[in-house]
Amino acid sequence: MKSGSVYLDNCVTSPMAPEVLDAMMPYFSERFWFPGSFYSTAESTNDALSGFAHTVAAAIGARDEEIHFTSGGTIANNIAIKGLAGSAQRGHVICSVVDYPDLLTNAAWLEKQGFEVTYLPADSEARIDLAALKQAIRPDTFLFMTTIVNHVVGTIQPMKEISEILKAADHKIYFHADAGQAFGKMPLLVDDYGIDMMSISAHKIHGPQGIGALYVRKGLRLAQSIHGIKRADNLQPGGLSIALIAGFAKAVEMNFADLEGSIRQLRELSDHLYVRLLEKIDHIELNGPMGEERAAHNINVSIDYIEGESMAMMLDMHGITVATGSACASQGLKPSYVLMAIGKNHVQSHGSMKFTISRYTTREELDFTVDKLAEITTELRSRSPLYNAAKNQEK
Amino acid sequence: MQYSQKVLDHFMHPHNVGKMENPDASATEGSPSCGDQVTVFLKIDKETKIIEDISFLSYGCASNIATASIITDLAKGKSLEDAKKITYEDAMEALDGLPPVKVHCSVLAADTLQTAISNYEIAHGLKEVPNFGKETILAELKKIIYPQVGTDIVTLKMVKYVGFSDGEVLIDMNMMNFDTWRENVVEEINEHLEKYPEVKKIQINFP
Repeated sequence: MKSGSVYLDNCVTSPMAPEVLDAMMPYFSERFWFPGSFYSTAESTNDALSGFAHTVAAAIGARDEEIHFTSGGTIANNIAIKGLAGSAQRGHVICSVVDYPDLLTNAAWLEKQGFEVTYLPADSEARIDLAALKQAIRPDTFLFMTTIVNHVVGTIQPMKEISEILKAADHKIYFHADAGQAFGKMPLLVDDYGIDMMSISAHKIHGPQGIGALYVRKGLRLAQSIHGIKRADNLQPGGLSIALIAGFAKAVEMNFADLEGSIRQLRELSDHLYVRLLEKIDHIELNGPMGEERAAHNINVSIDYIEGESMAMMLDMHGITVATGSACASQGLKPSYVLMAIGKNHVQSHGSMKFTISRYTTREELDFTVDKLAEITTELRSRSPLYNAAKNQEK
Repeated sequence: MQYSQKVLDHFMHPHNVGKMENPDASATEGSPSCGDQVTVFLKIDKETKIIEDISFLSYGCASNIATASIITDLAKGKSLEDAKKITYEDAMEALDGLPPVKVHCSVLAADTLQTAISNYEIAHGLKEVPNFGKETILAELKKIIYPQVGTDIVTLKMVKYVGFSDGEVLIDMNMMNFDTWRENVVEEINEHLEKYPEVKKIQINFP
């Protein structure tokens, strides 16, 4: 079994579709031109770019001119948050303790710049506390931001309820949504939720790495946070890779041709994985919600008495790539802040395993993974003082 | 994570793993909250004081399992006096090294072995229960590894002052507030000292 032959870490990045590579190739070679000028090569690039923007815009119910291509989701989040803060100059921002690091690190930076930030708590399934949101709104609150689908446990935030609370405020509160994990995994039209800004990324839906987009509602003016030459009407200045944008558009086209069908397929696969895990491994529990409130591609479980880096390494030796929330596997030796924030203990975080699937995942791969993980669990439990102690207590 | 082949071998096929029935001594160190815990069991020949058999249990990552495995290899067949000389550096050397952030695992394994030996000696009247004092605190601080470089905080001169009176431990640390490992080190200090009943309060000061 070779490295990554069963790849179940699709929330980090996903394999590029062959059709996407084909769509990019002309722009890497004969159609290498930049947009912007009056001559025909640039004009044809302008036209191509408009077409790609249209494809992406249509997927989220936006106007073409509301799409700004960026070098990925993180840049999009930075342009949105820093740009709006720059326009507001001062005031109050709300996010939550379970948000993606892009949002939390930007929030921390805003605090250093003199803005005030409220971090909403989340419930045991990582849903943000709506009562706390209502209470947190102040006259100077100008931004609420959230991670639509939680990057660890797959929770879909209650977008309708959030949008109603924001609308009911007596002044305009802009709504920025990080859709890194949500885009292409759920129906997501910006008008349905009153979203003002939204970041999306290509490589999570089998597009190329290094390209994303920021949706900005028409009429909203963001302060420029990155300065430089503009070759197209785009918030991120400088040269844009037309090839990557072409690949992004192709990935969107493929993903959204039958969105409901692709969600159903992911849901069937993840349900199958979860049922098999429960069948084969005892003392295991799901982290995050069940069913429709969970993104279709995410299963996160804690396996009692054993540690995640060991499990992930042993799976890796069978060619299976899976993520863990164990502190031992993290650069900073810290447990998953999301799991800790939703009331899990250290052991549950250390023993957590996150499986994120894609349309290329097969049932056979999932069965193979569960079989190997069951063997590994038995082996590691036989070595674990915690498991031995628990067994003694049972006696 | 770059592990040596030796670490991977001991992780995949650990030696002397499993619970021992009726051991002559045992010790458990570490805590599940830090993500690693090791138990060492000893069988010791009453006459010769040689470690006849040794085994371990480990809750933790690959390096935790591998260092526990190698420590049992190093101790097996040795006299208690010789086994007392086994250090975490010996374990690391025998494994062809560990990444700096994982050095603390080898400290835990070596420490658990030493505690098991000490428990045996106390139980058999070979030594007295040591008095708790500044030396105990310093010895514990020497077991705490600064993850960035993989060396203990005492050797790195990060500990400026240690005091102990009326159950209160006072430690002055030389670590800046922008040091990303400060929280880890504080957690480790607390974990190492809280297990002593003599310790009622731990005060750690930073510049």
